[in-house]
Amino acid sequence: MPPVDLSFLVHPTSGIPIYRQLLDQIRSQILGGRRGEGEYLPSVRSVADSLQINPMTVSKAYSLLEREGLVELVKGQGMRVAAMRSSSRAKSDALLPLLEQVAATARHLSLSPEQVIKQLKPLLEDHTDD
Amino acid sequence: MTNATLPALGTDSVPATAIDVRGLSKSFRRRPVLNDVQLSVPTGSVLGLLGKNAAGKTTFLKCLLGLIRPDAGAAILLGHSSWTLPPSIKASIGYVPQLVTHPAWMNIAQIVEYTASFYPRWNDHLVSRLLLEWELDESQKAGSLSLGTQQKLAIILALGHEPSLLILDEPAASLDPAARRDFLKALLDIAADGSRTILFSTHITSDLERVADSVAILQRGVIRYHGALDELKDSVKRLHITTPAPLTLPQLTIPNVLHTRLAGNTATITVQHLNPDLIPTLRRTLGATDIRTEDLNLEDIFLELHHD
Repeated sequence: MPPVDLSFLVHPTSGIPIYRQLLDQIRSQILGGRRGEGEYLPSVRSVADSLQINPMTVSKAYSLLEREGLVELVKGQGMRVAAMRSSSRAKSDALLPLLEQVAATARHLSLSPEQVIKQLKPLLEDHTDD
Repeated sequence: MTNATLPALGTDSVPATAIDVRGLSKSFRRRPVLNDVQLSVPTGSVLGLLGKNAAGKTTFLKCLLGLIRPDAGAAILLGHSSWTLPPSIKASIGYVPQLVTHPAWMNIAQIVEYTASFYPRWNDHLVSRLLLEWELDESQKAGSLSLGTQQKLAIILALGHEPSLLILDEPAASLDPAARRDFLKALLDIAADGSRTILFSTHITSDLERVADSVAILQRGVIRYHGALDELKDSVKRLHITTPAPLTLPQLTIPNVLHTRLAGNTATITVQHLNPDLIPTLRRTLGATDIRTEDLNLEDIFLELHHD
């Protein structure tokens, strides 16, 4: 029996399709360094079994990760986290949805771009002792 | 945990399209129930058929199986017209009706043996395992079984002959949450090798979201949507729009709107095939101060498709 992979969490009844929930989680795990280069993702079957979802959903997430260049298919072995080449591009892509939310809320509160940037800057710099 | 409960089917015997329904219509006493239904289901698909009560789901499934003769159109199952299915094809189809009736005087072991005798192929190992896992007592008489247990037995019997096409009518309706999970797991096991096709009707959208790769929504005898579940969720969005002045309906003439609600300075609009350019356009044309996009789950989408 393969070890159950507890690192993914999906909500089938969310408005976000399951494949996209998986995609977002694995992408942020890779970009955040929690899954290092060369590490293998759990097999499609084991993820589908442990989350009790359709295996095709897992395959879809994996193949999209492959298309993004974050993982690579190793024949007979599975999906392996790829070497980070275009990482900065991928990282800023991962941030985009959050920034869109910030922008929407800022508009809602009638804050100017300058005010938002002024508030954001210290938050970005306040990370040195982490 | 068990893997690969069913052997893979030889690809040579499996047509690429498991179900092909063309122009299917059926009326009862001149009341139309199905109206020119078209549906094509590729082999290997797990399709959830969703519809309100009395949408025509059961009639559709019965026409599909050749249990009811349609007024017009045809259903092709595994390459054969469902009205004239050869015995070999019948033996590769599993069906769980909405209302199951087992002979009351037989016990479970006898029913299993009796059912198995009709089929050239029978997976004793799978049936015994499921009887055990689903806590069915083989010595119990069918007449004393609860509704849920009768349904479990019917599902096990439908799996016993390893069908390449499995059709289930509201299979989880009488099952408790734990039994439903077991049942969904069994469905996923069957679907795992990609050679078997499953069609199940339901009004429990959360079951469908977990196991189905595609969904067909039957509304008043017509297939309102058929496609990938992911695409449906990706394409239907609800916009919450706030404007400085009250909005009127003509201002909100937007393509592919499923439903619009107006309340003073706010509007909620559900849109299918949302074009991302729409949001900046609305912001400009309506002078909207805020537009939020909400993802909708299957239940939300189902309800939005059923506003009159």
